[in-house]
Amino acid sequence: MKKRIPAVFLLLVILAGGLVLRVSRYGYAFQDRGAIMAPSTAEHWTGTDELGRDRTVRVAAALFIGLMGAAAAAAITTAIAACFGLLAAFSPSSVAALLMFLSDGFLSLPWLFLLMMARSLLPLTASPLETAVTTFLVLAALGWPACAHAIYRGARSLRSAEWMIQGRACGLKSRQLIRLHIVPHLRPLLLPQFLVCVPAFLVAEANLGALGLGVGEPMPSWGAMLLELDNSALLARSHWVYLPIALLALLLLILESFAEVETHA
Amino acid sequence: MRRLLRSPLLLAGLLMTLTVFAPCQAAPRQPGELAWAIHYDPKSFDPAKVDDEASELVRYLTGGVLLRLNRQTQEPEPQLAESYRVSPQGTLIVFKLRDGLRFSDGSALTSADVAWSLRRVLAPATQSIVAAEFLAPGEVTIDAPDKLTVRVHLPKRVIAVGKIFDEIAIEPANRPSEGRVTSGPFAVAEYKRDQFVRLRRNPNYWRRDGAGAQLPYAAGIRLDIQNNREEEISLFLRGEYDLIDRLAPEYFGILAKKSPQSVRDLGASLNTEQLWFNQAPSAPLPEFEKAWFRNRGFRVAVSQAIHRADLARIAYDGHATRADGFISPANKTWHNDALKAPHENAADANQMLAASGFHRGNQLYDSAGHAVRFSILTNAGNAARQKMAAMIQQDLAATGMQVTIVALDFPALIERLMHKQDYEACLLGVTNAEPDPSSMMNMWLSSSANHQWNPSQKTPATEWEAEIDRQMELQASSPVPSVRKLAVDRVQQIVADQQPFIYLVYPNVLEAVATELRGVQPSILSPGPAWKIEWMRRAEGGR
Repeated sequence: MKKRIPAVFLLLVILAGGLVLRVSRYGYAFQDRGAIMAPSTAEHWTGTDELGRDRTVRVAAALFIGLMGAAAAAAITTAIAACFGLLAAFSPSSVAALLMFLSDGFLSLPWLFLLMMARSLLPLTASPLETAVTTFLVLAALGWPACAHAIYRGARSLRSAEWMIQGRACGLKSRQLIRLHIVPHLRPLLLPQFLVCVPAFLVAEANLGALGLGVGEPMPSWGAMLLELDNSALLARSHWVYLPIALLALLLLILESFAEVETHA
Repeated sequence: MRRLLRSPLLLAGLLMTLTVFAPCQAAPRQPGELAWAIHYDPKSFDPAKVDDEASELVRYLTGGVLLRLNRQTQEPEPQLAESYRVSPQGTLIVFKLRDGLRFSDGSALTSADVAWSLRRVLAPATQSIVAAEFLAPGEVTIDAPDKLTVRVHLPKRVIAVGKIFDEIAIEPANRPSEGRVTSGPFAVAEYKRDQFVRLRRNPNYWRRDGAGAQLPYAAGIRLDIQNNREEEISLFLRGEYDLIDRLAPEYFGILAKKSPQSVRDLGASLNTEQLWFNQAPSAPLPEFEKAWFRNRGFRVAVSQAIHRADLARIAYDGHATRADGFISPANKTWHNDALKAPHENAADANQMLAASGFHRGNQLYDSAGHAVRFSILTNAGNAARQKMAAMIQQDLAATGMQVTIVALDFPALIERLMHKQDYEACLLGVTNAEPDPSSMMNMWLSSSANHQWNPSQKTPATEWEAEIDRQMELQASSPVPSVRKLAVDRVQQIVADQQPFIYLVYPNVLEAVATELRGVQPSILSPGPAWKIEWMRRAEGGR
């Protein structure tokens, strides 16, 4: 039951976002130049932004782009971490030590600056979709070392488990051992890692966006929308400017509760 | 939640968010000091090498000049020169210096210093932008027959004498000091990169007020390097700053509500906002892209597709006027009232593109089948420009062009524009310091490094650029006002026909001046409210 509450909330948020995108007449990039910073109306439920773009649609689109991007990046980073952790766990101790040293070295890099550097190396003509994909790929590529450590420790304990020895004695090949025994046993470790990464990547993208290095305009992103909060002129004109940060905070709480419940399950 | 805070990504994110939205703090104000913000570090304190606005302001505040252009009457007024005389042919200018002039370090200022400073500006090694305004700087000779007389021999008549000498600061001969030893009202006292430039009063400044009191009144000036407009407004409202020059339009309404006496809309400025395409042969762009940008039909179609009235209304909250040419209607003497600019219409734009070899599929393609997609660079931190870029992105999408917007910080932008020429299109503004078109020579002459769409040409790349060169040189050398006007009108028409710069809007001059500040006189010309700096001071009781 405890596990279902955040899942239900998450589903509700996603359904609401999907409904908005489904029923709205406007695309996220459409500029209604006759309705700049419009208040809440039947046409624009939460008003429009400085360029007359429907705020509800943009928030809903940012929700989907952010969630899908963060989930995909979290899946990739968890997969990389799993591969790295397993490789280290089932390697001779000297190789394992080297791999973990590499992972530690990677962890100690100034990742935020690397992230900014990698993102700024994109060609100027990169489309908004390409910038979004690259942003989340870069996050995935830089986020795995912390997970790899946890997985290494978990997999290390599996290596000497009795059922592993029995599996080997029964003639199971390595691939079969991984599929039938290791992955199911690591699942309680991998899923929380994945769930922890999703909100972390959402926040990282929002910060990159606030620095102008996230998803390119006119594609909506949390970061670009949060930038509106840095403009007192806008804050004075509409309270709906706070909608993206309120929704982002709600989303992060839901995702974190989800991860918390899964970790303690 | 504990876990949320333990995550390094999240923690860094939260820290960054706190940094971005942290309250601002200005450096402490020294007694009698004026303070306001500039938006980036001056690139050079050497007055002869100024080529950006921040450095120009520092030069204005520190540099002593022979003549100063009155920002209201637009007439030159003698400064270090007590008087000057131009020969009937316009090829000899004789300056008579004031007696007893001194630099800020107490050393005497003589004609030798003036001659040295002028020669330094004219020397090719200095690469001074002002030199181009002499038309043939290599042929200018200077002599100083006595301590108070300087003669400038010109190979050709130069019209805007007041403007040119307004930009040449007189420094001690053979002792260039990057603004630390000056003959102007202030001298550079301290510079902290990314923080502030502090100027102190020149105790030996030549000028006194009617009662005989030494000018300037202010003990010093602190120019904070402040790229965040939000913080600038906040510091102004807290009384930490005395003025805001070129107030961003979105804040005009807010300040007008909170402090109606402090804000002023002076109407259309002489400045322009424009979009241009990179036509430089050396640009590291594919040849097919260069071919688009050199195609007049392509440029005209882009111009036709842009809704300028929307740009003025939305990006500037109505504090701007749509633009067709490089001379603002505020410049009544030189604006071409009969200018014929391309008609703004999306259907006409599509027709023009079709006639120029482009065709539509699900997007726009050139005749070789390349999809038309390019990026528009603009500077980060300028909300109006970023809004205009987003609106142009949508306007051009109606023609099938795919545009991406890239906002870079100013130094990175200048690096791409001026040095690497690694960009496709750029949206920026030009600040016109004075109305006379002679001051725009460095932008229009094809040989100039500031001829942005194709700089430093050895010979004009096109016939129409050659014609612009001829007409600009004619207007700069002819003593007959009607001939000059005809030449400038012709240049305006060529530019409207060819659209090397696609003019968007003329922003209005918006400024905010603290109610405690005295001695301020409004002007639409740069440096705006600070042009009478010698007379500016805070009222008694002001912080």
